[in-house]
Amino acid sequence: MKVSFPYMDNPVLYYKLLDLLGHDIIIPPRPTQHTINLGVKYAPEFACFPLKVLMGTYLEVEKMGADTIVTSGGHGPCRAGYYGKLHQKILDNAGLDVDIIVFDAPKDWRPFLQNLKKIKLDNSWFRVMSVIRTAYTLAHSMDRIEKLIHKNRAHTLEPREVSDAWEEIQQKYMGIENRQDIAAVEKWARERLAGLEYNFPTPDQRIKIGIIGEIYVVMEGSTNNDIEEMLNELGCEVERSHYISEYIDSHLVPWKWKEYQHILDKADNYLEIMIGGHAKRSIGHIVDYKERGFDGVIHLKPFGCLPELVSQSLLDRVSEDLDIPILSLSIDEQMAKANMLTRVEAFLDLIKQKKEEEIA
Amino acid sequence: MNDLYIGVDIGSVSINIVGLDDSKDMQFKLYKRNPGSPVEVVKEGLASLNKKLKDRFKIAGVGVTGSGRQLIGYILGADIVKNEITAHATATIEQVPDVRTIFEIGGQDSKLIVINNEIVTDFAMNTVCAAGTGSFLDHQAERLGVEIEEFGDLALQATKDVRIAGRCTVFAESDMISKQQYGFTKPEIINGLCEALVRNYFNNLVRGKELHPRFVFQGGVAANAGIKAAIEKEINDEVIIPDNHDVMGAIGIALLAQEEMREKDEPSSFKGFSITHDNFETSSFICEDCANECEVIRIQANGKTIAMTGDRCGKWASDPRDIDVKDETSA
Ligand code: SF4
Ligand code: SF4
Repeated sequence: MKVSFPYMDNPVLYYKLLDLLGHDIIIPPRPTQHTINLGVKYAPEFACFPLKVLMGTYLEVEKMGADTIVTSGGHGPCRAGYYGKLHQKILDNAGLDVDIIVFDAPKDWRPFLQNLKKIKLDNSWFRVMSVIRTAYTLAHSMDRIEKLIHKNRAHTLEPREVSDAWEEIQQKYMGIENRQDIAAVEKWARERLAGLEYNFPTPDQRIKIGIIGEIYVVMEGSTNNDIEEMLNELGCEVERSHYISEYIDSHLVPWKWKEYQHILDKADNYLEIMIGGHAKRSIGHIVDYKERGFDGVIHLKPFGCLPELVSQSLLDRVSEDLDIPILSLSIDEQMAKANMLTRVEAFLDLIKQKKEEEIA
Repeated sequence: MNDLYIGVDIGSVSINIVGLDDSKDMQFKLYKRNPGSPVEVVKEGLASLNKKLKDRFKIAGVGVTGSGRQLIGYILGADIVKNEITAHATATIEQVPDVRTIFEIGGQDSKLIVINNEIVTDFAMNTVCAAGTGSFLDHQAERLGVEIEEFGDLALQATKDVRIAGRCTVFAESDMISKQQYGFTKPEIINGLCEALVRNYFNNLVRGKELHPRFVFQGGVAANAGIKAAIEKEINDEVIIPDNHDVMGAIGIALLAQEEMREKDEPSSFKGFSITHDNFETSSFICEDCANECEVIRIQANGKTIAMTGDRCGKWASDPRDIDVKDETSA
């Protein structure tokens, strides 16, 4: 069995989870234009953009020799719930022998355990639990570092150096075996980042931008022209509405759900029901960002995504009610970097002027 | 010698160059449609500016805007390189200080800019759908055998309304042909097309936003009286067409250059008019050194590489060099 998985933000977490169980792993490459073209070709035209990119990745890893793909399911009534089945069908139709194993939120533990059995190999259940715990710790540790980067990279003279350090840090995380190792890497990572040169402005001079929207296009830089890096390079601190550890806590760990409930509650004024995808969370995060003094919000909506179309339709009202500028960008295979930069730059000009006005 | 500020707007269907003096009066204006090579157009434009003004003015600042701004900005040694939304708004606010809404329709893109107290508070931009831009009209004018310049005035001669389904260029075309067969006159059809374009613009960009007067309409298409009338009908209010409506982006960036130079107190970084004699070539190649597979853009002056951009890692941009790569494209 040769196992692979979706690429989202970085491959470390999935890789470690499977590696610690002793799997033979094909690491998926970061999506490129080639990946996207491949996915667009095989996926149905009406499918949402993330489905197409993932399709491309699956086809790429199949070529590299993978016969099994482990992925997590979607949540709620949006199409993500059918992702696994649709991908499986497309692969079957193409005559490719690949098995997709979908881990869904454990509403019902039986299929979850059955899936777990498929990938547990001859590890004891005790070992499986310990690996899961290690992976869980890893997710949180890496996200603490990534959040630090999204903030501090805005204030260095050489943003590129921070990005390079982040690559290095990820490589170190790839080598961990247990929770002690994780703690050691995290400590090393903090020192590595602290050793770079920064030029921190006073807190009222900082520009803070929140990025919201559908999880895949928010987290996967190759689909959004690396918007975090772009904003950091333009001097803005960034925070995303999605980090993998928070996704795990709020979707997969029942006793942690309530910690994230307040974000959803904040959207109650605008959206009463869960319409699937991340629409409610997106709106909740805008309210949260405003309360925490952010200067603006960028909304990423994949082409063909219904839930985010719904949140987009609410943005004008939310923006006006809360007096926070919001820029909504539609993400598809044609989103050229130059066009995106133009909008982002103009948006930042607007924010800076607003800020000056408020101080004056 | 007086100071001159040059503004250059590199759009996808037109290139505009203006020269403003210290009191913001226009000393030079060039509007060039359908340019083949932007670099050549800019070189020629600057050469004629130099010829006309060199005895009276010295260059005190240069600004570049538009979708091709990075590259040209680099070649010219611009003092400021800024996006076209900010540039357009700057020019409009200078002329119409109490403007609240700017409709900008150009040849291949369109914008909506919302302003409050001389500050941009919202904007939307369409770069994908041709149906809300000037190229929609160009296309249909050609089909009808009408010069695009006459298009607008013809529209005003319409006596009946006809609705052309104009969601997208392809639909509009077939609908237009059938309406012609029904016997509607050319002016009526043209008027229908103008209204279809405006409807598309509103559907794409305005999307039910509340808009406030004063309204300004600018961009290449603002010369078209039919479109102006269609917008006024849509908003039920009057729109102002500013002087030099077709080069507002260039004016805006010239104004921003002036502001920048006042603050900076340094001489302009403009490379000088000698560049009009240099031979520039732009090409690109795919870097295969890692999985990112960046399209790296290379600018050569007289056969020597002077700049590279488009690489994610910065290995080319920080050290532009002459290398033997097979070119993917040459322009
Ligand atoms: S949230 Fe949107 S993009 Fe994501 S799976 Fe659902 S429809 Fe597709
Ligand atoms: S330019 Fe840099 S990031 Fe891009 S493919 Fe080459 S090595 Fe990779």
